Amino acid sequence: MISEKLSITKFQLFFLLIQSQIGIGLLSLPNIVQKSAKSDGWISIILAGVVIQFLMVVYYLLLKRYPDDLLSNITEKILGFLLGKVVNFIIYIYFILTGSLSLILMVKIINLYLLPVTPGWVISLLVICACVYLTTSDLRIIARFFVLVSTLIILLLFTNIVLAFYIPKEIQYILPIGSAGTKNILIGSNSALLAMLGFEGLLFMFPYVIHNTKGLLKTTSFANLFVTSFYTFITFLCLIKFSPEQLQQIREPVLYLFRGLAYKMFDRIDLIFLSIWIVPMTTSIIMYLFLASKSISGQKMSYKKTVLVNGVLIFLISLIPHTDEITNLMNKYVSYFSYAVIMVLPVFLLILSFIFKRHERGVTN
Amino acid sequence: MKKKQLLILIILNLFLAGCWDQHLLVNKTFVNGISFDLTEEGKIQATVRSLNIKGKGGGQIEIEDELIYAERPSPVGLSIDIDNMVAGEVDLHQAHIVLIGDELAKKGINQLLEPFYRGKESNITKKIAISKGKAETIISTEIEKSPIAFFILQTIEGAEKATYLPDENILTVWTKILTPGKDIILPYLEKIEPDRIGIAGVALMHGEKFSGETLSKEQSSLLLLLLDQLNVTSRMALVLDQEQEERSIAFFTRKMKRDMEITVDKSGKIICSVDIKMQIEVNSYPQDFKEDLNIKEIEKELSEELTKQANEIITTLLQANCDAFGIGMKISTKHPDLWKKLNWDEEYKNVQIEPKVNVKIIKTGNVY
Repeated sequence: MISEKLSITKFQLFFLLIQSQIGIGLLSLPNIVQKSAKSDGWISIILAGVVIQFLMVVYYLLLKRYPDDLLSNITEKILGFLLGKVVNFIIYIYFILTGSLSLILMVKIINLYLLPVTPGWVISLLVICACVYLTTSDLRIIARFFVLVSTLIILLLFTNIVLAFYIPKEIQYILPIGSAGTKNILIGSNSALLAMLGFEGLLFMFPYVIHNTKGLLKTTSFANLFVTSFYTFITFLCLIKFSPEQLQQIREPVLYLFRGLAYKMFDRIDLIFLSIWIVPMTTSIIMYLFLASKSISGQKMSYKKTVLVNGVLIFLISLIPHTDEITNLMNKYVSYFSYAVIMVLPVFLLILSFIFKRHERGVTN
Repeated sequence: MKKKQLLILIILNLFLAGCWDQHLLVNKTFVNGISFDLTEEGKIQATVRSLNIKGKGGGQIEIEDELIYAERPSPVGLSIDIDNMVAGEVDLHQAHIVLIGDELAKKGINQLLEPFYRGKESNITKKIAISKGKAETIISTEIEKSPIAFFILQTIEGAEKATYLPDENILTVWTKILTPGKDIILPYLEKIEPDRIGIAGVALMHGEKFSGETLSKEQSSLLLLLLDQLNVTSRMALVLDQEQEERSIAFFTRKMKRDMEITVDKSGKIICSVDIKMQIEVNSYPQDFKEDLNIKEIEKELSEELTKQANEIITTLLQANCDAFGIGMKISTKHPDLWKKLNWDEEYKNVQIEPKVNVKIIKTGNVY
């Protein structure tokens, strides 16, 4: 049982989820979905949202059976000690790699736009220090921080809605709807799903939530709805703002949305936006650091020490000289990995837990 | 204790971050305008108008406006040449105005502008214009002491507000060049001897290439209304010629409504009808002082005259192969099957565009 002091409310869970989902993936999302789904990229994102909703239900059904356990305990209970340990280790590696990948991409983008001459390691050290510092102070503090910085996302949402009225746009770029074909839209939603990762945090946050067996699905569904509509909205905006061929040439279309704005006093709003966006990018890394540490912290090492070790590990991975080729390769493998951990594993566990439950009942009867 | 150490580490890091990426103002050369031309040998010549800031000590600075030339067979690398020629850091792509000579523009502008689109430091909200003759002659004009690039920029922005020029910047030009089935019109500048720069009208583009056809300032104003791009206001002056009695009239357009409809008939002919309803305000009508204004009559005459002019404009558009109305795009979304069969470059000339201007006087102000 998790002590009262460490628990979080459902309100906090909502923000924890959206903050870990929204991050660096957003910046290049319109470009990525456009590659396959063309002008129907926004449909792909809605579909990805539906898939996430389905997974949320699976997670909920699984976790409801073990309301006081982290995923790492659940795997051990279902799969047995040895196999459980192996699976837990795989989960751990996944979180570390995803965290490192987010950090690498974040450093890359900061190097590209904001601080071109600053060495990458300085930026990643700076980020990882802040992350470790926050993560050592358990979930409740993290949750409070996430709720606080969520105002940034809401701020961005409002500026975007205002923006939507003023930018020159051409609705014809997305017409006729559905011209890309079902197959391409599905491929697009595959890439969209990867930009929306972070919801798997639920697997480790569940036991901390107060009254977690009641109404939790509603909270997670709302979080999912928020993220999906936010992403769809921004992608839609990019799709009607940029011509299809142009969108293929822009790697971070979301930044170009802001770059196209100028006022008497300001030029280059994109740089201001990117400076603000550092926070949501960092929150995703914090989340993965937290998840990685939770997934292995057990009897041998205290939680704080684990966080520190993992932080150093992520930092070291980010030091590997990252040519675009290596990053792309890493991106590819992490995405395969993520399917195993966020989809295959929970579904598998759920099925097994059903089987075992029936079996147990059979014995008691 | 541990927390304190961590805090110190973070603070130390903060001090580290700024050192690499500082740009001192005194080391910078600001590019405020750039022009591209085709030389006789077929090379590309860039002329850069830059502001050189020099510290004179005691907090005083001196600003110099200078001209730098560079020549290369292709646009790539011009910025390196220029960087080598000036003191301090320079970024070409921060220019406030990009001028392209008409000869070069006929060969295509996309390649020239690519570094402006995607450059890390480039300012994509700035303006592009095409010049009559060499662009270099425009950018090297000396108007008293003010930097010429800002003068040009202000001229263009003023003309945009008055609906003489389309409201475009580098980003929107990029978007529209890459849109199949829609062509762009760009500001067309000329040098007026001895030391003046004026707007000659608009240059009609076909894809990324300048078609060679232009419209005058008056025509572009009407074209923009036909395109439903009325900015703040539009001012026009017309001579109404009826029964050998010349009368002139000047008016504002403040509000308008456009209906555009594209139909494809059975033989595959594409017909596009453009209907505009302008609500105007007469501000000068220097005749018939004794009689009251015959509003109905004037409305009718104006409508006829403007429709006539609109037809002339459309003839020029078709000659230039400039699909400013985006008819191709409309067809591609409404009749995708037909669009796949069409070779739009060839087909556009056969499109029948029928403009109709309807003028309604809503105010006569001091003229009555």
